[in-house]
Amino acid sequence: MNGDNKYCKLTKYIRIFQDLKAEEIMTKTVVTLTSDKKMSQAKEMMKIKKVSGIPIVQQDKTLIGIVSIEDIILALESGTIENRIEKHMSKTVISVREKETLSQIVEKFNRYRYGRFPVVDKTGKVVGIISKEDILHSILEKFSLIYLHDEKRKSKLNQDRSLITGESLKISEAEFHYNINSTEISAAGEGAAHLKQFLKEQDIEEEIRRRVGIATYEAETNVVIHSKSKGDIYCFLKKDRIIVRVIDFGVGIEDLNLAMKEGFSTAEDYVRELGFGAGMGIPNMKRFADKLVILSEKKVGTQVEMVFYLS
Amino acid sequence: MKVKDMVKILEGTVLSGEDKMEKEVKYIGAADMMSDVLALSKPDMIILTGHTSIQAIRTAIVTDLLGLVFVRGKEIPEKTIEMAKEANLLLVHTNTYMYAACGKLYNAGLRGIDERR
Repeated sequence: MNGDNKYCKLTKYIRIFQDLKAEEIMTKTVVTLTSDKKMSQAKEMMKIKKVSGIPIVQQDKTLIGIVSIEDIILALESGTIENRIEKHMSKTVISVREKETLSQIVEKFNRYRYGRFPVVDKTGKVVGIISKEDILHSILEKFSLIYLHDEKRKSKLNQDRSLITGESLKISEAEFHYNINSTEISAAGEGAAHLKQFLKEQDIEEEIRRRVGIATYEAETNVVIHSKSKGDIYCFLKKDRIIVRVIDFGVGIEDLNLAMKEGFSTAEDYVRELGFGAGMGIPNMKRFADKLVILSEKKVGTQVEMVFYLS
Repeated sequence: MKVKDMVKILEGTVLSGEDKMEKEVKYIGAADMMSDVLALSKPDMIILTGHTSIQAIRTAIVTDLLGLVFVRGKEIPEKTIEMAKEANLLLVHTNTYMYAACGKLYNAGLRGIDERR
């Protein structure tokens, strides 16, 4: 890889992260207490909710302080744990605005050394909380989104919307469609080859074509090998990116965490004989796509959405 | 090293992509797992493999390989050769086993992609 290419990649990543805002990073279900409650209630709340700090608010959610584990320890030591929170909370609380960017937030973590920051809206009301863990998660998600399918997202299966951005992606409006109509392993890859040819006709640059081709090949192979059903490949061309969706209505992935591991595979021997089933499928998709989301529900099917940015 | 020199060292037969004899062998590797080829190959690479199903050709097309060398004197399915011709992919057949084939090419100066920058 030459220097220019590396530079392009780097600026691309900066672009991905620089627009991450507090409101995207924060945990929205934030536990708060009003200051008339007792310190012992704060302690119980921390224990139950497994948090290390609780923002203290007025009735209208306006932030007025914070209680941390250190405050609890102090109250326990001084025998004041049954006192009201207002006496013991830290009143000089550093908060983050919804629209603050990742770099500003990281700077706050470095400067103040707190474990978490409440996030407030324009009027000073608490809308979320950010811990270092939240930052880590949001960055990982931004790099490659992997969602284990759960009940909340069930409604999203079969919807004409992007799993990543929520934008409308009507399959009837896809620029490319290929029907995976065979469970014959020998047919695996045909769709990816067609898609690659299609992208060539659209004058998409070679490096991107290759990445799309490889990731789609793996996704298609998974449908053929694992889903035990038919499926579809859709490709959407946007001004700045290519979106590929591979959808099947098969058996679903039982344990996505396991499926993500390099080297893990449930493939049968005949598949391995064909040079697949080495447990590289999803890791390879992740390697070549800029973003990846996999939704899977047992006995309902699997949807893969991949985004490739045009440099 | 040019493709024709490589073919000579391996005492190979060219089955497809005869027009590529004067091309330089830029990158070379060996793998039987197609997933490894997908993961680690480079465009314009030549892969030595014992894997002769059409999946090898599809993998080569998708990853923009220059071509494949089938080792161990394997019998190659008609369909595989047909598909390679259609895609104008270099296809070389040699009776040399994998280990020796790699050794001979390495000895002649061809290095793996992990050894070069």
